[in-house]
Amino acid sequence: MEAQPAVVTVRFNKFLPYWAVLQTDLRQTLRSWVYRLWVLTTIVAAAGFLIYRVGLHKEAGMFQSAATQSGDLFRFMLVGSLALVVVLAVSAIGAEKGTVADSVLSRGISRHQYFLAKWHARLAVVLCTFSFLSTAVLTASYFLFKADEQSDLSLAGGLAATLAICAVLFVIVSWGVMIGALSNGTVLGITVFWLLLYGLGFLLTLLPEPWPSPERELGRLKFVLRGQYNSRLLTDVLLGAAGLSGVAAAIGLAGFSRRDV
Amino acid sequence: MADDTSELVVETQNLTKIYQNRQIALNDASLTIDPGCVLGLLGPNGAGKTTFLRLILGLHRPTAGWAKVFGQVMSPNAAHLRRRIGYIPTNPQFPKGMTPISYLDYIARLFGLPANARKPRLATLIRAVDLLPHSGEPIIHFTPGMTARLAVAASLINEPDLLIWDEPTHGLDIEARRSMLELIKTLAAEKTLILSSHNLSDVDEVCNHAAVLNKGQLIFHGSLQDLKGRIKKNHYELDLDGDQKSITKAAAALRTHKDFTQVLLRQRRMEVKFGDEIPNSALFAQMFQILHDHKVTLITVRSVGMQTEQAYLDLVEREESRGFARLYRDAEAA
Repeated sequence: MEAQPAVVTVRFNKFLPYWAVLQTDLRQTLRSWVYRLWVLTTIVAAAGFLIYRVGLHKEAGMFQSAATQSGDLFRFMLVGSLALVVVLAVSAIGAEKGTVADSVLSRGISRHQYFLAKWHARLAVVLCTFSFLSTAVLTASYFLFKADEQSDLSLAGGLAATLAICAVLFVIVSWGVMIGALSNGTVLGITVFWLLLYGLGFLLTLLPEPWPSPERELGRLKFVLRGQYNSRLLTDVLLGAAGLSGVAAAIGLAGFSRRDV
Repeated sequence: MADDTSELVVETQNLTKIYQNRQIALNDASLTIDPGCVLGLLGPNGAGKTTFLRLILGLHRPTAGWAKVFGQVMSPNAAHLRRRIGYIPTNPQFPKGMTPISYLDYIARLFGLPANARKPRLATLIRAVDLLPHSGEPIIHFTPGMTARLAVAASLINEPDLLIWDEPTHGLDIEARRSMLELIKTLAAEKTLILSSHNLSDVDEVCNHAAVLNKGQLIFHGSLQDLKGRIKKNHYELDLDGDQKSITKAAAALRTHKDFTQVLLRQRRMEVKFGDEIPNSALFAQMFQILHDHKVTLITVRSVGMQTEQAYLDLVEREESRGFARLYRDAEAA
């Protein structure tokens, strides 16, 4: 009697497609020239700024508190990063449409999983990179100016400032990925988002005090770095960022599921 | 595998796609594809072939109508249906920095295949498509033939029930094209295939059904025999062996027969056109008898003029000539 061949039943892992896209996107983002340019320019600019300040302090005796300097540096880092972070976020899905998206979305992955994987990958890259860079900047500032009596950086303040900026980046990346998923072209998406972001920022700077002007809020970073911050306000910022990002993700998920790729 | 063998693999009803209210890519296409069918999707450039395939895959959403695959409506989120489909796009694109091993592993993970299933499978496929010596090289340096073979491997990694290949022989050299056609014939024994192709001889060789699209309209859907049946099968070419004088005499004998309307002889190749009155099988019998009487050996017989191509061109031309009557379905169309 012939032996029957063993029937191998393959159990599909429902979450494997999500992890596959997430891992591949993380790897590819870290290799992309936009990411490398962002990291390189931030490091060079931050190092240049710190060396200049140390020079002024040591050679000319002009002293500015560590918190004020770090606050300024954080502000420059955020404003300078915006353009490239927007490119990174919008291109997450937008750049693959009509190219490799075909090879991916024609397999056993749903649009929801694909969108979530791309969104999470870009969030992880941007937030981890910014947290790492800001920690490096704060550590460098602390060690460079710790001999000074007026050194006023606090650990809790540094953490709060990093969290606040990461919350802003969280919203920007979420809306960027959403716009990239819903726009017809990456260049169009990037242009629209730049216009929205810088236009909104400019309009808010024109509004009076109760309105959150980016200029004023970023100017307050030096107080936050000294540890003078309102925990409740910080919680509100984090919750607000989570809410806005959630809205972006919901729009992106619903819209991307109905779009042609 | 399909739970029910009688289950239609693909069914579309009034499938219509209009891009941004600017371009009608597909218009009211209704067809069914049975299990085991090898369907050749034919049509000129811009006829809507790729749009049709993308709608079946859920990459595009229909403007109207629906497409069912394995009895369920296809949608962008129907990952469980796509798990049973293997797809090759026209110009396969690959993520940067990947090798065949990492790419196939990625594709297998996109299907949700666990490591113990996907690793042996990808190794088998790499060997099968002759990419073993290049399995660690970046795909970006591959020739079109190598990328085509990799795309074939990717489309088979999930052991699909339905294969959708968009111009699989596009850009391949003669040897690779031959291998591809042989593979399609092998796969046709156990899978359902939809092949979009410009090359009608490929379709003629491997497909048993055809669907013809013209300007977004499905103008024919049926068996390849039905498509060929639309033109007269009366023109044949024979390669002969024997004494040249005998062959010439046999040709002269055929010319005297009124049912052979045209007999042309070039060295040992003879072109014969049959009349319409008598069934061609009877005329073949007479022709073979004449050749036998003149001691001429027959090497090959083939029909002249690529019947599928003629039938296809005939269909497209007739559709064009119908003018405003295109508003109504042609009685002869599927």
